Amino acid sequence: MDPSSGIQEPFDLIRLSLSERVFVKLRGDRELTGILHAYDGHMNLILSDVEETIMIVDVEGAPDGRGTVNVAKRKMEMLFVRGDGVILVSPPSRT
Amino acid sequence: MLIFSVFKTLTDQQVTVELKNDLSITGILKSVDQFLNIRLDNIKVSDEARHPHMMAVKNCFIRGSVVRYVQISAENVDTQLLEDATRREALNQNVYLDAEYKLESREWRLPSGIG
Amino acid sequence: MSSLQGYVDRRVLLILQDGRAIVGTMAGYDQKSNVVLSDTKERVYSMDEGVEEIPLGLYLVKGDMVVLIGELDDAIDQATDLSTIHAEPIPPIRY
Repeated sequence: MDPSSGIQEPFDLIRLSLSERVFVKLRGDRELTGILHAYDGHMNLILSDVEETIMIVDVEGAPDGRGTVNVAKRKMEMLFVRGDGVILVSPPSRT
Repeated sequence: MLIFSVFKTLTDQQVTVELKNDLSITGILKSVDQFLNIRLDNIKVSDEARHPHMMAVKNCFIRGSVVRYVQISAENVDTQLLEDATRREALNQNVYLDAEYKLESREWRLPSGIG
Repeated sequence: MSSLQGYVDRRVLLILQDGRAIVGTMAGYDQKSNVVLSDTKERVYSMDEGVEEIPLGLYLVKGDMVVLIGELDDAIDQATDLSTIHAEPIPPIRY
């Protein structure tokens, strides 16, 4: 039961993603990808080389009630993300 | 505690705080507390034409709970140091949880190296 | 610690979770950022009319409702003719 290796609890998955590019889904229809440098138990994160994607759903002017989705993207070099907005953190895809 | 320490190292540097009401405020980080409440000096609100509400405000206190992001300049951060500190804190957290678990199962012992 | 230090007896602008903007004199605060303001006025912003000021008297605001507290530069604030300012209200807090 060496706590420094292997996966025993959910946060271990995030720990093993340090210095790797992760995908983060946030409240408010936002998503980030960035290189993970720090986190804590609140899922506060510090990421670098970040790209944010915001989904803007335009409900008005849609007669069928489905609306259209506009996507806005922006880049930030270093970002602190407050943990209360985090829905999920996904480790790098190993393809 | 880790993130609090990181913010302390960023004092007197320029940051942009984005709030959960979509307001974006750039200023010099003057102080931070354990709730991650933030004091900014010399502030500027993005898109001031749309947000004239803070024209006469030069410094402000932002409640940590309403922060969405803080944009930092990458040159002010040693990422290797951050990752090492994060691993160390995660390890301490685990030792602590381990001790708690053993306490529940009435087998609690002090983790080695303590006491 | 105590990031509200230095605001006591100053004129401040308080932005609340629901987007309301209140100005007043900071009479006191505590660790949870509960604040007491005296001589408060709400500033109601709209696109159609200038800013309307509504006197509210003495206010105790619970810390949970606080978004931002800014120190007002009296010279700038008093030189501003609020009746000429047309702006959208500040949006409420959501993620």
